[in-house]
Amino acid sequence: MDILQYTFMQRALIAGAIVGALCAIIGVYVVLRGMSFVGAGIAHASFGGVALGFLLGINPIITAVFFCIATALGIGAISRKGDIKEDTAVGIFFSATMALGILFIGLFKGYSVDLFGYLFGSILAVTQFDLVMTAVVGVLVLLIIAALYKEFMFISFDQETATIVGIPVVTLYYLLLAIIALVIVVSIKVVGIILVSALIIIPAATAFQIAEDFRLMMILSTVFGVISSIGGLFLSYALNTASGATIVLLATAIFFITAAVSPRKRRKRYEPPENGDYAPSCLCQDESDGEEGSSKKGTPQHETVQCTHKHQD
Amino acid sequence: MASLQRSFNCDKICDVMEENNNVIELRDISVVFREKPVLEQISMDIRTGSFLAIIGPNGSGKTTLLRVILGLIRPSSGTVKVYGKPPGSLGEEKHKLGYVPQLLEVDLKFPLTVEEAVLMGRYGRIGLGRRPGPKDLEISAIMMERVGIAHLKKRAISRLSGGQLQRVLLARALANEPELLILDEPTSGVDQTTTFNLYEMLKELHREKITILMVSHDVGVVASFVDAVACLNRKLVVHGKPSEVLRSEELEQMYGCEAVFFHHGRIPHMVVEDLR
Repeated sequence: MDILQYTFMQRALIAGAIVGALCAIIGVYVVLRGMSFVGAGIAHASFGGVALGFLLGINPIITAVFFCIATALGIGAISRKGDIKEDTAVGIFFSATMALGILFIGLFKGYSVDLFGYLFGSILAVTQFDLVMTAVVGVLVLLIIAALYKEFMFISFDQETATIVGIPVVTLYYLLLAIIALVIVVSIKVVGIILVSALIIIPAATAFQIAEDFRLMMILSTVFGVISSIGGLFLSYALNTASGATIVLLATAIFFITAAVSPRKRRKRYEPPENGDYAPSCLCQDESDGEEGSSKKGTPQHETVQCTHKHQD
Repeated sequence: MASLQRSFNCDKICDVMEENNNVIELRDISVVFREKPVLEQISMDIRTGSFLAIIGPNGSGKTTLLRVILGLIRPSSGTVKVYGKPPGSLGEEKHKLGYVPQLLEVDLKFPLTVEEAVLMGRYGRIGLGRRPGPKDLEISAIMMERVGIAHLKKRAISRLSGGQLQRVLLARALANEPELLILDEPTSGVDQTTTFNLYEMLKELHREKITILMVSHDVGVVASFVDAVACLNRKLVVHGKPSEVLRSEELEQMYGCEAVFFHHGRIPHMVVEDLR
């Protein structure tokens, strides 16, 4: 393995492994909570942060950290407070931060080839500083997730009950957004701004097809994430292809292979009993938000509900 | 109208009980969604040790009232107190609550085993950043045993039947060692046997001095288990013992709870006759 002799390759591999694992771990929450678009939005927002770094002559990763965290919290605040849905909030921030990035690049008088490295990822671009930064963020994120593992699981599964029993759901939501932002920023050198959200979503989605318990999903997602990034880096070296694209395509290939061989199709509703425990009955869902309040006196029996038998044999 | 007034004040039940042992106190609760009243002027006390069903037709605001009590919705006007405090700022009292959500709201695709799901009931007590200890595992094991799902503990929730899943949710609520158990439509989406078994379990819990509050549209069956019924249709129509509420003129005439009665009662007539 002569390629391991190159310092840049060593750095890229270490950074790739850390980033692959981190993205895969937070990806579990992103996928289960249905926040994929949030991930993509924050990733694109990092472009604004990187461009600001170029403009100010600061290391773009540093500016991107602040920029992304601010964007993530902004998305959270708008989607929690107003009548605006999360995906709409993402849509607004997504385009606004990209626009800012383009504006900053326009204002920047110098010449920057590096920018392409940030957009598409480049194994050559991983510096010593990036590696240290990645490791620090990695340790920080892992510590937070290890400490709040059960809370993050609870709020992803059942936010309402979590609120009732006293879990600080809102604070944890913002913390999760901040973590997503941090992980994205340290990942952009390896996979690039455009593709980083794929590295978050795909390994977790692959694990989701197999795992039946939360811990296993975490483990499998991490394994798929690391395999994709390490394998992708080797492939990109061997085939002389762009590293980010190779990593993402490898992850996608694993996803489709898993989808093809996955034995189980998840169901959304109850199945008929295996042992007579359950016989399907009327699924009369009660919607109590003030629609059809009054009843028609005199003709109650036939009027009200035609129970739909969602009965799958 | 006079008799209606009497029912609002619910003096029948309240008189028997002592002062100041209300678990829940609602005073003039109104909720307005987008300029549309969902709840109007609800005042009600729920005493320690009672087993109350809130019933009402679709859109009567039952679930909304429950959410107000749970502190998930702030009422447009009026005051709510749970254990003497507003539900949003319960301290230790949070641990007295057990909540069983609607079965149909559970995310079945979530990768979770029965064991993991039940243990979640302990999370509020365990506290932030701490891991479940032997005691937590023991209590969730006891609760799984109690509701009869111990043999399923390694199974994924996506592979459970409706009845099994419901027992998981109940065990999860019980794992918090609640004094007040709140259930949202526990009978929607399950068959009659499951419904009956659930009520039997609730009755047993009630005997152990757990206060139970449930929202249901299942008037008929509910009546034979609970000891108080509140009939809701945006306003509190009647509130009292099941036998009185279900026979009451007000119920018939004013707000059409009889519609619920017919529409969900698979065995309603039978039950009413029993009560007479």
